[in-house]
Amino acid sequence: MKDSCSSISKLLEKYFDRETTGDEGILVQDHLRQCAVCQAQLKSMEELRTTLRAPVDEAVQKETFAWVWQKIEREIQDRAKPSWRESIRAWFGLSFPFRRRVWIPAVAVALLIIAIGSPLLFKETPSQTELSIVEYVQSDTHNVMVFESERENVAIIWLFEGTEGESST
Amino acid sequence: MALRRNRRRILYVTGKRAYFIIVAFVLVLAPLWVSTALGQVQTRLRIIEASNVGSSIDPALRDVHDDLGSLFNFTSYKLLKDESLSLTPNRPSEINVHKEVSLEITLTNQQKKKAVYQIRILRQGSEILDTKVRLSPGKTVLIGGPKHGQGSIILAISARF
Repeated sequence: MKDSCSSISKLLEKYFDRETTGDEGILVQDHLRQCAVCQAQLKSMEELRTTLRAPVDEAVQKETFAWVWQKIEREIQDRAKPSWRESIRAWFGLSFPFRRRVWIPAVAVALLIIAIGSPLLFKETPSQTELSIVEYVQSDTHNVMVFESERENVAIIWLFEGTEGESST
Repeated sequence: MALRRNRRRILYVTGKRAYFIIVAFVLVLAPLWVSTALGQVQTRLRIIEASNVGSSIDPALRDVHDDLGSLFNFTSYKLLKDESLSLTPNRPSEINVHKEVSLEITLTNQQKKKAVYQIRILRQGSEILDTKVRLSPGKTVLIGGPKHGQGSIILAISARF
């Protein structure tokens, strides 16, 4: 081994693992062209790697990993899609039986809102006919006057007997 | 741990309160529901004599005087009868106004805040007026005209919900 071999040998492992920089790689390659010792060392490294990898690669090629796939498939089946009820329950974060302490006040409040809100929702605007108090008046024997003001809450039905109408108004 | 205990206690109190609120709600609404289910309407009937004899106006009849003032110039208003009738739908009630005149009133339709009445005025058993009126809270119908002594009879009808 030459003097520069000691400095190159540190880089040689990095070169073998393809971890050298561009300049370092050129330096190692230049040295390898001139140095048979370092060439032999690099070759022994390659042989060692081949020796170590060969049985591993062979074992991997032989193994089909069927049991791994079976286990994965079993896991997928176990986590099958839940029913819509379970989905809803899970969405609300509820477990069976229902949490009554939460649901009962919630339902009571909802009913209260419906009771208060429904008349407002279904409120119809009354027509002028519906606003009036008197629907009809009929008299076969007397004259009748109906007075109903839009603003006041009173309707007056007056039955005139004889000449009273003329004298009163 | 302490926080969890407190939380549970709060939830428990909330649950108890919820039961109390529901029970109170039912107790408050039950009488209203029963009244609605029976369909009864409290109806106020005032029988008034209006005349130009004297100038005394019953303090309880100020509203009638104010309503009629623009149309008639009666100087005296006297309350003859003030009745509260509990009317059931389609069951006529007959009230004697005075010796010859009577009133037949029938609740024909009742909704939440509206009552429809058929009113018939009879003189010696013969109908002299037939009318249908729709009364809601605060509304009054005044039916007047039948002679009574030197004045006229006025009937003031209103519904109470």
